[in-house]
Amino acid sequence: MEATATYPFMAGGAAEGTTLQAGAVALADLTACPRFGLKGGGSAAWLKSRGISLPDINRIGAYRGMRLLRLGNEDILLLAEGGGEALAGLREAWVRDSGAKGYSSWREEGWAWLRLSGLRAPQAMQRLCALDLRADKFGVEDIAQTRVAQVEAVLVRAPAGFDVLFDVTASAYFARAVAAVTPYCQDLPTETEGNI
Amino acid sequence: MKILTCPMNGDRNIDEFQSFGPVRAGLDPDRTADAEWARHLFRAENRKGVVIEWWRHVPSNYYFLAERDLVSNEIIRTFDSSDPQGRT
Repeated sequence: MEATATYPFMAGGAAEGTTLQAGAVALADLTACPRFGLKGGGSAAWLKSRGISLPDINRIGAYRGMRLLRLGNEDILLLAEGGGEALAGLREAWVRDSGAKGYSSWREEGWAWLRLSGLRAPQAMQRLCALDLRADKFGVEDIAQTRVAQVEAVLVRAPAGFDVLFDVTASAYFARAVAAVTPYCQDLPTETEGNI
Repeated sequence: MKILTCPMNGDRNIDEFQSFGPVRAGLDPDRTADAEWARHLFRAENRKGVVIEWWRHVPSNYYFLAERDLVSNEIIRTFDSSDPQGRT
């Protein structure tokens, strides 16, 4: 990752000045965190040749401390938080390999990565996404490829919330959409709590 | 909300999908006259009945097939294009 990269919410970015809210529905920007996506014929075989075991489609696996998302038969995404040394090593090996290896899907540049968390995050997701995301229906190893705030997105569970990956150009819109639903997430009937 | 069952992603709002029209046999470039090409490219069949169509689940960019009744708009079934049982 280039040290000089500018992401939308940073100074000089396209969404500079857009508030990433805190509180009961909080939004955090993880767009600068390392990730690496492979897509196209040969992607799965190349990863398997490195000794990486792939989960089923729309399920999450793990590789050296990273989350490994199987978005399709030949569409795989690795998410690294923290250092990302293992990810960098894998990327270098992929770049060096001159054989069949799939194609980079440029997830580190094309997608924003926002984390929605907080006490009322589940209620916010009720308003932003049509899917049933209750814990017994959408587990920690599940992936939903769907629409969130009317934007095509990859949705997974995160510690105390949800990670949403979507077109980076929609970053400011997404933050505003979350802010727009937040006032309606404060006073739900108490009997709905605990079921979400 | 109309629901379409994606073979890969499950039940979803039909707004998440894009239709690509009926599956059609390709033409043989060596045996096809201009008039046939014109018909193939520019004229839709638009008949009543049940057809198998290409659909795409947009968030996952997954293409699959759906059997649909063109009169009632009922989606009878959906299946992956590699499914050997699918087109029978």
